[in-house]
Amino acid sequence: MNAIEIRGLTKRFGEKTAVNSLDLQVPAGEMLALLGVNGAGKTTTIRMLSCLSVPTAGECFVCGHSCRTEPTEVKRRIGLSPQETAVAENLTVRENLLFMAQVYGLERAEAVRRAEETIILMGLEEVAKSRAKTLSGGWKRRLSIAMALIGRPEVIFLDEPTLGLDVLARRDMWRVIRSLKGRMTILLTTHYMEEAEALADRIAVMLNGRLVAVGPLAELEEKTGRKGLEEVFVALAEGGGDQ
Amino acid sequence: MMRRIGAFAQRNAQEILRDALSYIFCLGFPLVMLVIMTLVDQSIPPEAGMTIFRIDNLSGGIAIFGQMFVMLFTAISVARDRSGAFLLRLFSSPMTPMDFILGYMLPMLVIALLQAGLLLVFSLGVSLLTGTALSLGGVLLSVLPLTPSAVFFIGLGLLFGTLCNDKAAPGLCSIIISLGAFLGSIWFDAQTTGGVLLDISRCLPFLYCTASVRAAMQLRLTWEALWLPLLIVTCSAALTALLAAVAFRWRMRAELA
Repeated sequence: MNAIEIRGLTKRFGEKTAVNSLDLQVPAGEMLALLGVNGAGKTTTIRMLSCLSVPTAGECFVCGHSCRTEPTEVKRRIGLSPQETAVAENLTVRENLLFMAQVYGLERAEAVRRAEETIILMGLEEVAKSRAKTLSGGWKRRLSIAMALIGRPEVIFLDEPTLGLDVLARRDMWRVIRSLKGRMTILLTTHYMEEAEALADRIAVMLNGRLVAVGPLAELEEKTGRKGLEEVFVALAEGGGDQ
Repeated sequence: MMRRIGAFAQRNAQEILRDALSYIFCLGFPLVMLVIMTLVDQSIPPEAGMTIFRIDNLSGGIAIFGQMFVMLFTAISVARDRSGAFLLRLFSSPMTPMDFILGYMLPMLVIALLQAGLLLVFSLGVSLLTGTALSLGGVLLSVLPLTPSAVFFIGLGLLFGTLCNDKAAPGLCSIIISLGAFLGSIWFDAQTTGGVLLDISRCLPFLYCTASVRAAMQLRLTWEALWLPLLIVTCSAALTALLAAVAFRWRMRAELA
């Protein structure tokens, strides 16, 4: 069963087409990396899948529910960690998680239990009592992902989860993301080749709003006759997105 | 729905109550003004016949002045949330526009009423120290007009926070605070000035906010003194809250387009 089903998805902003006739399926439990340079249309795609933006044309379904006509059903099943850190700055890590758990309708006792579980899952114990505004970029990003996880979503969208992090924090985040694999469907956007290579089951390459290739790395390498994702990406980009 | 509203309201209250500036502006500044203006009142000779700074007039005006800062912090809170990705995250959650509107307004109403309570208790203390009569019944009754006036200012804050960005909202609120204090007859008696200034004051709700609280404080329970201004303030509060709710829904839809 596909957790995400995208058919002819298009988003235009005036004259500019941010996403152009995108077709993509993501099976349940898979981690798919949406790879592309800045402005490729990755974030716009995530926004449409999260019901934060209405498609100009086409349709997208999450867990069988239409993002266009059943946004409430979709929102109950997804978690989003936006590109910018989206936390309540004056609340502690624990309070941020408790708040999000209650937003997803959990009773207080259950929300407290879920927050504690998520703190352990995400390794946030040492900063649980710290206010979000005092955290480093890496910890904030980890909290942001934890907030997206607390509603136990079937699908989670991680929009550039390691953007702006130093190399150690990035590797640490990779470990966290890897630990989520298999628990839920994960759609990760990134413009770091090594990140997509290290984490994803399949890689979807976007160029100028179009999906130019999708598959496991080995398949993309075979298709382009190049070795390594960076070489594959360059080959696809030089091909003008026609492949 | 109630759980979501409660969670969001608690979060908003925590954000405000953990900011030292909230205490300085919403409580400290009005209290300092109360003390300074009481000292000014003590310096005015009785034969001048100027009673605007007498505690039974002053405390009502100060309570309304304090609520204007609640407006400021409501606007800052909403505009700041909008400027970052925090609201974006919540827009992708099951929260509805009504959850957001009530979640912003309810904690601010509680904060405004707590602020009014503290200012009134302090005013009672000042009245005992200065030997000026301030009726306990009047102090208690003044909570009645202070409730719709709080809704009015919180509605304005939500409206400005929704329509302006986090840089413009505080500036606009500062202008409203200055104008509201001036046209609301907080620091002088608008009735004695007359002319165009009084006409403008009568066209805006600020004057009626102050007038209704002062009337309640002084137990002047006539239609003209208390009930008519209270009716105007209540209608203004309902209209402002409705406008703010419509604006927030419109903004939310625009951002999700």
